[in-house]
Amino acid sequence: MDPHEHPSGFAVPEEFNLLCMLFNIGVIKPEKSLTTKEISERIRMEVSAIESFLPKLIQEGYIMVSKTDFTDKYYVTPEGIRKVLSIYS
Amino acid sequence: MKILMLTWEFPPRIVGGVARHCFGLAQALAQRGHEIYVITLEFPGAPAYEDMDGVKVYRAAIELGHPNFLTWVLLFNHFMEKLAARLCHKVKPDVIHAHDWLVSPSAISLKQYLNTPLILTVHSTEVGRAQGLHGPDSFTIDGFEWWATYEARRVIVTSEAMKNEVAGHFNLSRDKIETIPNAVDFERFEVSVDRQMIRRKYIAPHEKMVLFTGRLTPQKGVEYLIQAVPLILKRNPEAKIVIVGEGWLRDGLQNLARSIRCQDKVFFTGFLSERDLEEIMVSSDVLVVPSIYEPFGIVALEGMAAGAPVVASRTGGLAEVIEHGQTGILVYPRDPESIAWGVSQVLSNQNYAQQLVKNSKDKLRKNFGWNAVAEKTIKLYEEVLKG
Repeated sequence: MDPHEHPSGFAVPEEFNLLCMLFNIGVIKPEKSLTTKEISERIRMEVSAIESFLPKLIQEGYIMVSKTDFTDKYYVTPEGIRKVLSIYS
Repeated sequence: MKILMLTWEFPPRIVGGVARHCFGLAQALAQRGHEIYVITLEFPGAPAYEDMDGVKVYRAAIELGHPNFLTWVLLFNHFMEKLAARLCHKVKPDVIHAHDWLVSPSAISLKQYLNTPLILTVHSTEVGRAQGLHGPDSFTIDGFEWWATYEARRVIVTSEAMKNEVAGHFNLSRDKIETIPNAVDFERFEVSVDRQMIRRKYIAPHEKMVLFTGRLTPQKGVEYLIQAVPLILKRNPEAKIVIVGEGWLRDGLQNLARSIRCQDKVFFTGFLSERDLEEIMVSSDVLVVPSIYEPFGIVALEGMAAGAPVVASRTGGLAEVIEHGQTGILVYPRDPESIAWGVSQVLSNQNYAQQLVKNSKDKLRKNFGWNAVAEKTIKLYEEVLKG
C-alpha cells in the first residue's frame, strides 16, 4: 500500500505528515518555532521537501511564520493542532 | 470522593466527543460535591492550572517531543504522570478514571504507584476507528487498548454496541463492562439567536441548511453525504450542505465535491468555536450523521438538543440513541441513496420534522442528561471501592 494511502482509499496529504511531525516534536508556540534547517535535523526530512510543503500549510492557517532579524521560523497554530489531533482521536 | 481524571482532550483542546464528555462528566461530579482533578495536556492560550466550574484542571507541558507518533504518546504520558505524581503528594485520589488508550501508560503506572483502582472509559477502539488493524502502529494501539482494559478494575462504554465490541475484541468478561451512555448539556442549546442572521453566514435566504458537524475523517462517512448531494438536490433543489469541522480528509472531500460538480452546494466552514457551533446547530434544517463507525455519536444528542431533526446511520450507538421514525431517521451506512432519502423525508415534510424534534427533546430529557450519567458513574465508583 502507498505509505500515504489510508485504508479508506483516501490519500493522506503529503504535507500533513510534516504537520504531524512538527506537532509531535512540540513546535506549537512562537517561542518553540524552528527554522527549516532545524526542522530538517529534528525530523530527518529534506529541507527542499519541507520548503515545498510549508506554503500550503501556512496558507491554510495551520502553520505560522515567526519572523526574526535573520531567518524565518515556523510553528503549528491551534488550528493546525486540531487538524493533527483529528487523525489521532 | 476524590477522583483523578486523565484525558488527553479537555477544553479548549477539543477534537472529538471525548473533550465534551470529560468536561460534562467532571462538571456534573463536581456539582455533587466530589473533588475532581483533571490531568490533561497543554494547549496554546490555556493556563497550566485553572478551576473550571469547580473542576481542578492541570495541563501538562510536553517538555520533550519526537516525530514518531507512538514515541510522542509515551513522552506525553511521562509528563502527565510526573504532574499527577506531584499532585498526589498532596491529594490521595480514591479512584483514577482514564479516558481511552492514549493516557493508558500513565494511568496504569499511577494505579500501581498509588495503589488506587483504575476505571477506564473506552470511547472507541482502533479496530473500529480504522475498520481493521492495517499496520504496525494499529497493532500497537490495539495492544495498548487491550492492556488498559486488562488493568482497569471496571471498563465503561457508552453503548451496548461498544459493549459487544469491547467484550468480543478484547475477550473481556461482560461483567467487567458497564454501559453508561453519553449525555448532553441542554442549556448550551437553549440560546437565543437571530436564526436568519446565522443562516445568512452560510446559505442564501431561499436555501435549506443540511448540516454535518464532526471530525473530517473516514470514520465519519462525510464522503457518502457528499456523494448523496446530487440525489438530495434532485428531491430538494433548495438544499445546501454545510460541513463544520476539521480533519486530514478535508482536501479529499473538497476534491470529491468538485469531481461530482457540486462544490457550489457544499460549504466547508472549518473549525467553529463552541458558541458558533451551538448557533449553527440551532439554525439548521437537518443534521446528518453519516458515520460508518460511531461508538455513541454525541453529535446526534447535540442536534436533538438544538432542535434539529437528525438523520443518522444505523450503526453502533446511533442506532440506540435514535428511534427510527420517532426521534430521528436512521439510514443505511455507506449508502448515498439512503442518506438522500432520509434528508428528503425531513426537508419535504415540515410537520413530520417538527414531530421528530418534539419526540427527541422529550427522550433526551428523560435519558441523556449529565445528572443521570454522573449518578451511574458514582455508583460504579462506589462498587469498585467496596471491592
